[in-house]
Amino acid sequence: MSVQNLLNGLAMGGVYAIFALGYTLVFSVLGVINFAHGAIFTLGAYFTFTLIGSQFGFNGLFARAQLPFALPFALATVLGAVLAGLIGVLIERLAFQPLRRRGADPLLTLVSSLGVGIVIVNLIQYLVGAEAYSYPAAILAGLPPSVRFDLPGGLVIVRTVQILIFVVSMLIVALMSYFINYTKTGKALRAVSEDPVTASLLGINTDRLIVFTFFLSGFLGGIAGTLIAMSVGIPNPYFGTTFGLKGLAVIVLGGMGSIPGAVVGGLTLGIVEAIVPPELVAYKEAIAFALLFVMLLVRPQGLLGRPLIQKV
Amino acid sequence: MRPRKLLLKSLVSASLVSAIALTGSMSLMAQDEEPIRIGIALAQTSNVALLGQEQVIGAEIAEDFFNELGGVNGRPIELVFQDTAGDEQGAINAFQTLINNDNVVGIVGPTLSQQAFASDPLAEQAGVPVLAPSNTARGIPEIGDYIARVSAPVAVVAPNAVRAALEQNPDIQNVAVFFAQNDAFSVSETGTFQETVTAMGLNLVTVQQFQTTDTDFTTQATNAIALEPDLVIISGLAADGGNLVRQLRELGYEGAIIGGNGLNTANIFPVCQAFCDGIMIAQAYSPLVDSEINNAFREAYTALQEKNPPQFSAQAFAGVQVFVEALIALDNEVGLETLELADLRTQLNAQILAGEYDTPLGVISFTSEGEINQGTFYVAQIDMAEDGTGQFVLIGTYEAEPMAEGTPEATPEMEATAEATAAS
Repeated sequence: MSVQNLLNGLAMGGVYAIFALGYTLVFSVLGVINFAHGAIFTLGAYFTFTLIGSQFGFNGLFARAQLPFALPFALATVLGAVLAGLIGVLIERLAFQPLRRRGADPLLTLVSSLGVGIVIVNLIQYLVGAEAYSYPAAILAGLPPSVRFDLPGGLVIVRTVQILIFVVSMLIVALMSYFINYTKTGKALRAVSEDPVTASLLGINTDRLIVFTFFLSGFLGGIAGTLIAMSVGIPNPYFGTTFGLKGLAVIVLGGMGSIPGAVVGGLTLGIVEAIVPPELVAYKEAIAFALLFVMLLVRPQGLLGRPLIQKV
Repeated sequence: MRPRKLLLKSLVSASLVSAIALTGSMSLMAQDEEPIRIGIALAQTSNVALLGQEQVIGAEIAEDFFNELGGVNGRPIELVFQDTAGDEQGAINAFQTLINNDNVVGIVGPTLSQQAFASDPLAEQAGVPVLAPSNTARGIPEIGDYIARVSAPVAVVAPNAVRAALEQNPDIQNVAVFFAQNDAFSVSETGTFQETVTAMGLNLVTVQQFQTTDTDFTTQATNAIALEPDLVIISGLAADGGNLVRQLRELGYEGAIIGGNGLNTANIFPVCQAFCDGIMIAQAYSPLVDSEINNAFREAYTALQEKNPPQFSAQAFAGVQVFVEALIALDNEVGLETLELADLRTQLNAQILAGEYDTPLGVISFTSEGEINQGTFYVAQIDMAEDGTGQFVLIGTYEAEPMAEGTPEATPEMEATAEATAAS
């Protein structure tokens, strides 16, 4: 494997990691996969696009729509992520809470979130069409488009935006780990994920924490969506779905519920995809899921997950 | 019978007869004014709408244009639009609705060759003539007797781009080719590009594959750049093609880029932005051609859109034009009102193939297979301005080589696909 492949893999892996973080958060607290996460991720990208004052295309209810103001890109990203977080809370209220209150099977929650996700992306298409959109190149003004290293093995090139994504993902992972392990709220989250009933008996407001989890997960998803759209543009409202499926592979690989696991899983998947030979590049995704399948057979708890021990 | 009953009976009969007579004559009058319906099955939504939208505009201009000229000997045409969206299923649904519910005399569409291999066999089975406005893959006219196209095949158009690239830079030696392996048109076009590269004595250093749904091309791009190509040729659609160009340029590729027909739209400008600059694209239409019909079409287009018409619009316009002129010829020969719909469709098909048409694409006609005979082709280069707007600048004009006897045969895979779809 060449250095170029490794760098390509890490760049892509950073993207998967940041996407999987939001997934892992909800899973670790509630024990359910939020299949609407891909839709929230997509929304984050679209919100940022709108907030920087860009104009939509020729299809949809809001054809040619444009906000009367334009925010600076960094502010638009954060605000867009906040909006995505709020949508996450809305999804919790609509798809998760009613079923949780009734003690329904987690499988139903999964299906419910999948339904909400599908509704959201179709709503996006209905409102603004399915054409491709890109952020203006000026957002990276001043930075060179790529960085080149002359190594003994040959020239190695990385796009600046990929470096940015990797750095931001690692930063977020560090912040999240600190938050979960060293802050009071973080510890409360861990308590709820361990056992919600006992946690609430100890005075922790589990409902509020669950809402906060969804907000945080949506916020992370929104940031991830914008970062990826910076790199590859917004191809259509459904691009979050592919990430959603791959994110699943990532958290299984890394260990469901483990935040460092999401990172390790993401980077692993990115590197595996990058070393696929050129003739098979069209089958990259099949390889990702083959890896998931192998992991489920060999080590079901994932690379960094804890084996589930049931106390009798 | 008693006199009163007889009177009543006569009155009823008389009213019935008058009613029938009135209805009969009313329906004759309605027939004279009833518009002739032509089906338009294009991608109005989804990512493929980046290409389809230009076609819709061209078709709408054609509808107004030819109705103002009197339609078909006084009878107006009515274009019935059905959205195919971006996939095969959408095209099949659109065709079925147009053929069975809307009772159109013929169909202009669909946008993608990939869609056409799925939907055209339905029209063939139903005996409905189809004019493809933008299907350029190998094997399209061979789908059936009712399938023809106004879009010149990749085999004829694409090589001109390589010629133009060499004219700009005769030192080009190494060529890297990219193509979308899940799209029939891209697979066909890349075959032509690769053959051309080899035939011109250039060095094909790598062939990289991707999917039209891909967004990240880092692996393919870095693989190619490592081999130091002077020329990159891309066969894909608008969004993926635009993204690939952008990523190649960001990764430092400075050589020439040729885009295939899928990038032949101003709708890639928002995708690759300033990086679109310099892309060369072979075209089957130039807005600058000075002919009466093209001048009129260009005027109508610029009045609406404030810019020169693109190829996809011109081809859609030509598709509608061919239908109208063939209908006029058929009406003059046998009278359309004497024909039942099924018969009308069949005779219209024969008339289309027999005619010659002075369109914005030039003077065109069809081979017996339904392949277009077109005389002149062009190559344009994208010029992006500082403010982010762009335009296609004409850099070369090429006369077509004389058509070889017969047209390229469909590959066994394409025949199998066409049969399988027809059987399903």
